[in-house]
Amino acid sequence: MTDAILRQHAEQQFAEELAALERHDTRQRPPHWRLSPWAVTTYLLGGRLADGTTITPKYIGNRRIIEIATATLATDRGLLLLGVPGTAKSWVSEHLAAAISGDSTLLIQGTAGTSEEAIRYGWNYARLLADGPSHAALVASPMMRAMSEGKIARIEELTRIPAEVQDTLITIMSEKTLPIPELNSEVQAVKGFNMIATANDRDRGVNDLSSALKRRFNTVVLPLPDTIEQEVEIVQQRVESLGRALELPAEPPALEEIRRIVIIFRELRSGATADGRTKIKSPSGTLSTAEAISVVNNGLALAGHFGDGRLRAHDVAAGLIGAVVKDPVQDKIVWQEYLETVVKERDGWRDLYRACREAL
Amino acid sequence: MSIHIFGIRHHGPGSARSLVQALQGLQPDLLLVEGPPDAEALVPLLGHADLKPPIAMLVYAEDEPRRAAFFPLARFSPEWQAIRFALEHSIPLRFMDLPQAHALALEPPSPPEQPEQPLDESTTPVTNADQPPTLLDMPWIDPLGALAAAAGYDDGERWWEHMVEQRRDGADLFPAVLEAMAALRAHTPADRDQREILREAWMRRTIRSATSEGFQRIAVVCGAWHAPALAEPGDAASDERALKGLARRKTAVTLTPWTYGRLASASGYGAGVASPGWYDHLWEMTSTGLTPSVVTTRWMTRAARLLRDEDLEISSAHVIEGVRLAEALASLRGLALPGLQELDEACRAVYCFGGDTPMQLIRTRLTIGEQLGSVPDDAPLAPLQRDLQAEQRRLRLAAEATWRDLELDLRKPNDRDRSFLLRRLNLIGVPWGALRERGGTGTFKEAWRIEWQPEFAVVLVEASAWGTTLVSAATARACDSAAKCDDLPGLVAIVNQALLAGLPDAIQQLIGLLQSRSAQTSDVGQLMDALVAEDRQTRSSLIGSLRYGDVRQTDAALIGHVVDGLIARICVGLVPACAALNDDAAQAMLNRLIAVDGAIGVLEREQQRQEWHAVLARLADSPALHGLIAGRACRLLLDAGTLSADQVARRMGLALSLATEPAAAAAWVEGLLRESGLLLVHDDALWALIDGWVSGLSVEAFQAVLPLLRRTFSTFAAPERRNLGERASRGPALPADRVRIVQDDLDLERALAVLPLVAAMLGVKL
Repeated sequence: MTDAILRQHAEQQFAEELAALERHDTRQRPPHWRLSPWAVTTYLLGGRLADGTTITPKYIGNRRIIEIATATLATDRGLLLLGVPGTAKSWVSEHLAAAISGDSTLLIQGTAGTSEEAIRYGWNYARLLADGPSHAALVASPMMRAMSEGKIARIEELTRIPAEVQDTLITIMSEKTLPIPELNSEVQAVKGFNMIATANDRDRGVNDLSSALKRRFNTVVLPLPDTIEQEVEIVQQRVESLGRALELPAEPPALEEIRRIVIIFRELRSGATADGRTKIKSPSGTLSTAEAISVVNNGLALAGHFGDGRLRAHDVAAGLIGAVVKDPVQDKIVWQEYLETVVKERDGWRDLYRACREAL
Repeated sequence: MSIHIFGIRHHGPGSARSLVQALQGLQPDLLLVEGPPDAEALVPLLGHADLKPPIAMLVYAEDEPRRAAFFPLARFSPEWQAIRFALEHSIPLRFMDLPQAHALALEPPSPPEQPEQPLDESTTPVTNADQPPTLLDMPWIDPLGALAAAAGYDDGERWWEHMVEQRRDGADLFPAVLEAMAALRAHTPADRDQREILREAWMRRTIRSATSEGFQRIAVVCGAWHAPALAEPGDAASDERALKGLARRKTAVTLTPWTYGRLASASGYGAGVASPGWYDHLWEMTSTGLTPSVVTTRWMTRAARLLRDEDLEISSAHVIEGVRLAEALASLRGLALPGLQELDEACRAVYCFGGDTPMQLIRTRLTIGEQLGSVPDDAPLAPLQRDLQAEQRRLRLAAEATWRDLELDLRKPNDRDRSFLLRRLNLIGVPWGALRERGGTGTFKEAWRIEWQPEFAVVLVEASAWGTTLVSAATARACDSAAKCDDLPGLVAIVNQALLAGLPDAIQQLIGLLQSRSAQTSDVGQLMDALVAEDRQTRSSLIGSLRYGDVRQTDAALIGHVVDGLIARICVGLVPACAALNDDAAQAMLNRLIAVDGAIGVLEREQQRQEWHAVLARLADSPALHGLIAGRACRLLLDAGTLSADQVARRMGLALSLATEPAAAAAWVEGLLRESGLLLVHDDALWALIDGWVSGLSVEAFQAVLPLLRRTFSTFAAPERRNLGERASRGPALPADRVRIVQDDLDLERALAVLPLVAAMLGVKL
């Protein structure tokens, strides 16, 4: 049965690791936490336990970021994960919730259409009409359930939620209670309740948080990967697992090709060549690691279905251009400039240069 | 008789606190401090009422001020506290390090390798390039880093901070430091660095002579690394052998005000500390004897108030939450108290909404701090002033309070150096001379007006922070103002100034900056200006400097690289940049187009020329372009021989066809013909086209384009205009074949008859 499921929750996929951590965790746990803050960081960053159980790293990057996030959740402040698209915000949020509460499903997806009911509670109208307002007629939101069970609630894309709906969160965060005026009652949060929200850096302007709400969150910015090695590692890990899942016929990509793509992404993103000698313009897109992963995957699919199964320059060229050139006028200039001033002159990149020139 | 070794960390407030406590308990009768004996004369000055730390003692070679060593002192420096202690208790104090008279005479040490912090060249002031390690103990070996790694810390600073600087019980600290360093030194080869051996030998010699003088309680304050070497006096004879026959040079000392910014390693000073402001805070908190948790709350409150002054909304609730997060982080990491890192992270998460810009503010204003020290008036002269005096004597250019005019002939070395001097001073911010307008176009003469003002002395002392010589200070200053300059033409102006002031080191850095700025600029107009525009101060353009300037070969290559990059970017971006221009913008673009074309002609590189012509061809054929640009593109291509007259005629026909607005057509004609009408005089096809177009205009349309055409024709030289007028009065041009028939009618014999007379008039022989 579970084989047919496309994607498992974190707490299902890594159930063994979580159980092992719980067994070995002797440190102090905040009320209603399954693991101590120390074990939570270990779960996310990976490590090896006393009995030899290997904890795989879920987040490859700066240890301090995860420490701040965990410390924030141990106080009663909300955690806001901020970052450009593709920097593993939701991924970190899911795993934090899985490690702390053992449950990552108390999720509210923020959209422009998210209503107050989605955050507070709704009504079962049949029952409401039949019996009048009662606890039985109440349909609890994930937020309400998290409060009454002392778990972590997750809000995805907080800044997409209209400002007036966002403000519902203020009482919940400061007074830790959710009033139900219809029943003249309330739900008071049990210890262990907290929330993790994610928001997109680029769209900050969509529905900027009110300062009242902002002040109730600690903000942690998830950066793009620090080093080329780190990023290549992330891309390769994900490409291999995704390739297996999608049953692509091509052989695993050569590290060299991945490295080239990662280098291009990093250079365009940072606005300077890897050796730090030349500055270049950055395109309008974010060029996140997630996009690098999809460029490689795309190339693999092309190579597998239409080519000889090996990832080559012309397989990635189209995907590369698609990822870089988001604005047909400005980005095209940026890309051309990059091709002419950097790619063209780099040793051993001749094939890529030609492939990109042809594809443009 | 007893000798007490206090191994400290330079600029460590925890060390300073423990040291003061220990000194009070010990009440020594002599203090030996790691510092240059050359500067001992300055010690009484340090007690002066007008003196406020941070200050720096500066020792430099008298004949070569560029070789200098700074010894900065802040109020939280253990050395400073030791000096204050000695002055307050009237205890004799001696500096015991190797005198700079010897140290400066040694060969400059190989540049230190700092594995943790890659040396960032752009932030390293040139003055420090060959400065010997001073108050620091061997950055390339990093003893604390090794200990910290052993303790599982990723950073030596943090480890020391947690183990020493933040501890409030200092009693057993010094024996423990001694022991730890002894263990560390046991694993380090003893003969690593000649300079270090000499320094320690000299320190031991100073201690020995102090004991032989009969002092009873000697306190020795030195960097932790040296403590074990001083605790074991060892063999006096071998030290004397090592110190025998050391070279010596004459040194001079001075005191200069210092800043926390310069103290921070961010400004490139090797022995600096990353966070002087934070140490100052720690020092203040502990010296006022408040409880430990106040350090955190005070710091978070100060950060909040700083941001509030900048109109960021930070409430007291933020401060409360910030302190809580910092403490939670500290306990997660198993620390007793939050360190700077925890506080920074709390500030970022709670105050700054994860942003970097406000953190930058906290970093420069709070963590590093902006304190500026001051020194009493009777402190000795700064090296920059000395350097200027020497230059003035050498170039026979005295500082006079009344103005006088100066004409410099740059072909004479003395005059050229004078020009360099005046320009360098200008760069430093001392406008002793002002360049005057001068008639004539020669490039080898300059006219200056010089006038010395007493305030310049103050500026010079301040500018000492930039470097110890005029060259290094001007270099550092030019690089700094270039880094702050955010428009490309402004940057080019600085590059030109540096070129003309003879600052090759600055050129290296400036060109790098120019390169990166030009890569970031998306405004093609600015790029073109950077290439060809002349700035006001030097009246020279980048291309002019490259082509005609007396730049040295290396500079020329560097500039050439930048110019290549500029041209490549202009070629890529020019076509979109020319789209949708109004009349004024098109006018400006036209001038740039002409200038860049000239520049590319000057450079004489075939490939660039081809690329440029390809771009021009695209411009000439772009349908919706402003007529001025399209017309001029045709003209430039015609002049270059890329387009033939027939091809231009076809395009002109297109531009002047009935479907085109008359105003746009007139603009096209202006673009094509501006400045020179000879084209029309000699090309019948073009003449016929334009003639036909003008005659075909309706009365209204003719009236509308008349001012435009008049403007175009007014740019022609008078004889050209007369030629054109005569041609127009002859009526429609004659077909070419009829002209030839007329020539066939010539009577050769009659023509030949005239020739002898003509030859006689011209004085030639047939």
